[in-house]
Amino acid sequence: MYVAARGGEDAIQHAEQFYQAMLGKLSLDTIHTIQQQLPYLIDKVMGEGSLYSPELAALALAQTGGDVYEAVLLLRAYRSTQPRIAYAEPVSADQVLTVRRISAAFKDIPGGQVLGPSLDYSHRLLRLDVLDGLDDDQIPVAPEAENLASPTYPAVADWQRAQKLLPSIEAEQIEPVSIPDVTTDAVLFPAPRAHRLQALSRADTGGVLALGYASMRGYGLIHPTVNELRLGYAEVEMKHPITGEIFSAGRVRVSQAEVITSDGESGKAGYQLGFAATMGWNEVKLIAASTLDMEMNSHEPHPAHTEEFVMYHTEPVESSGFCIHFKLPHYVTFASSLDSVRKVIDTFYGGDKSQQQPQAAETAQQVQS
Amino acid sequence: MTLQELAQPRQDYSYAFLDAHAKRELRRRILKGIAIPGYQVPYASRELPIARGWGTGGLQVTLSLVGPESVVKVIDQGADDSVNAANLRRFITRMSGAQTTTDALKATILQSRHRIPEEIMGEGQALVLQVPDPEPLRGVTADISKAHQMHADSDYGQMWLLLYEQLVRYRQYIQGASYPALVNGRYVISPSPIPRWDNPKLHQAAHLTLLSAGREKRLYAVPPYTNVFPLEFSDVPFQVEDQQGRDCRTTHIQNKFMNELPQEDGSSQFELSDSGYAEKLMKQGAAGATYYDDQGNFYHADYLKPPVKPTL
Repeated sequence: MYVAARGGEDAIQHAEQFYQAMLGKLSLDTIHTIQQQLPYLIDKVMGEGSLYSPELAALALAQTGGDVYEAVLLLRAYRSTQPRIAYAEPVSADQVLTVRRISAAFKDIPGGQVLGPSLDYSHRLLRLDVLDGLDDDQIPVAPEAENLASPTYPAVADWQRAQKLLPSIEAEQIEPVSIPDVTTDAVLFPAPRAHRLQALSRADTGGVLALGYASMRGYGLIHPTVNELRLGYAEVEMKHPITGEIFSAGRVRVSQAEVITSDGESGKAGYQLGFAATMGWNEVKLIAASTLDMEMNSHEPHPAHTEEFVMYHTEPVESSGFCIHFKLPHYVTFASSLDSVRKVIDTFYGGDKSQQQPQAAETAQQVQS
Repeated sequence: MTLQELAQPRQDYSYAFLDAHAKRELRRRILKGIAIPGYQVPYASRELPIARGWGTGGLQVTLSLVGPESVVKVIDQGADDSVNAANLRRFITRMSGAQTTTDALKATILQSRHRIPEEIMGEGQALVLQVPDPEPLRGVTADISKAHQMHADSDYGQMWLLLYEQLVRYRQYIQGASYPALVNGRYVISPSPIPRWDNPKLHQAAHLTLLSAGREKRLYAVPPYTNVFPLEFSDVPFQVEDQQGRDCRTTHIQNKFMNELPQEDGSSQFELSDSGYAEKLMKQGAAGATYYDDQGNFYHADYLKPPVKPTL
């Protein structure tokens, strides 16, 4: 009997040992291999875990046997214990060391389209030769550049702002400590934009995709145009607490997406942008998330595209945790509903359970809900 | 000065896991919750090394209250040895060094999922209930911003309508667990998915009850000696689950909340859901006073009334 497994403590320890025995030994080599060979998985886990540490993300993945939701929870639980010792300087798109940057809105853009590393135009064929061990000496190399690419590129939206196609914006001067923080604030709706963008940044890739796809497929704005999608490395710039000088504490992989539409926020002429950014490179999440950002600004979004709906239901730790909690015993609540169902059956059928009970099934459903 | 010097030296986890900021926030929210009985106080809700939806709300409250001198009892469905209760207890003691007990009357903090013990808890005890969904209005509005407004306005008409519809269709209230209750005459709460059997125990209780939903980031409280009444029409009283004639197969006690154990021959056997109480009866042959006596009478006379089936 699993529910009240007598000697519950032993049972849970054995279950964990069983799992670990199945995974085998964890070694530093394994972790480094995961870190080097699975960067996109690492990025996804770091983004959702909202903790930038490829090494810890690789460890989390190794420790959980690749169960992504478990790995994300490990990172989040670790992250929630870490003090915030400083705030980094803001990063703007034109400062990001960009390796990939494309726009679907124009054939060419100032600075040019930069495909960078991508599988977009690859043929999705399994490399079966690898299984035959025939590729031992083939180490893939990137093609040599004829002209060295620029490390940074202007933002497409800046050109559109200059053209008055987009409203111009001024970057607000804000004290970092006063930025609303979704990890330490009680979240209320309507949420500050910072909360929304942070939530999207930490959101579950699959969850954001499902809701974003519903918008794209016809429940929302239908056709967002990717104004700019950018992958790159951002310097984590800190202000030295004594000298006040700004220095770089390292580089992180970041990505951002902007979608543009002329029928977003109601009552506004011209175009509007939807925006999303995250740590690590995660293109599908950002295109969906920036679409949702735009949806949330629209006057009457589909119920599944309101801020409250999106933010609550794309939270990976909360959604996955609640879903798996249904494995826990619920026999007390079930007994409570059973009592009600039996009383109703008794009321209408005098306890004769052999009769047709057209309402009973309906009742059971109500009581369960 | 280098970044290395600026950074904190690597250290193990804080006492009771939560850092001081998180504890301070929780304690303030708890005080607010106690000051406004039944009001849902939003809080940030930190991630814990336990999956969300597995008691992280209750656990955060417990971790913000616990000290080395605390005595902690953790139950799930009434049982101390249920796997999740065992896991939470292991985590709380590992992080706090608190003592544990299975005796509901010895615990200073009693964290529970879905049950309130059978023995009458006393002053100075804190009952921490894990809450999956803090919003009693969720069934009539899924939107928490709207629900928030309805609470502010004491706009509970739709809840009454829901109960009325049940009476029309089924001639009785059909809500199972999580039966909505009015606290201090002001806020309707979900008492967490405790069975209706446990709802009356919140009324004029000597102990403090804290209810916390980690995933939904809301906590609320029922302070000691506060009125708590189930939503009921004055002519159709609220009913608890019928325990009449159910004989615990190990203690042979009656009129307590029982687990029904289906048997192969199609019949059912019963056993006490409250495992700590059962353990006491088996070991000592006696236990503390209970909310319901052996005849099933609730300790606040006239709080529960005999069933009335409306003729509509």
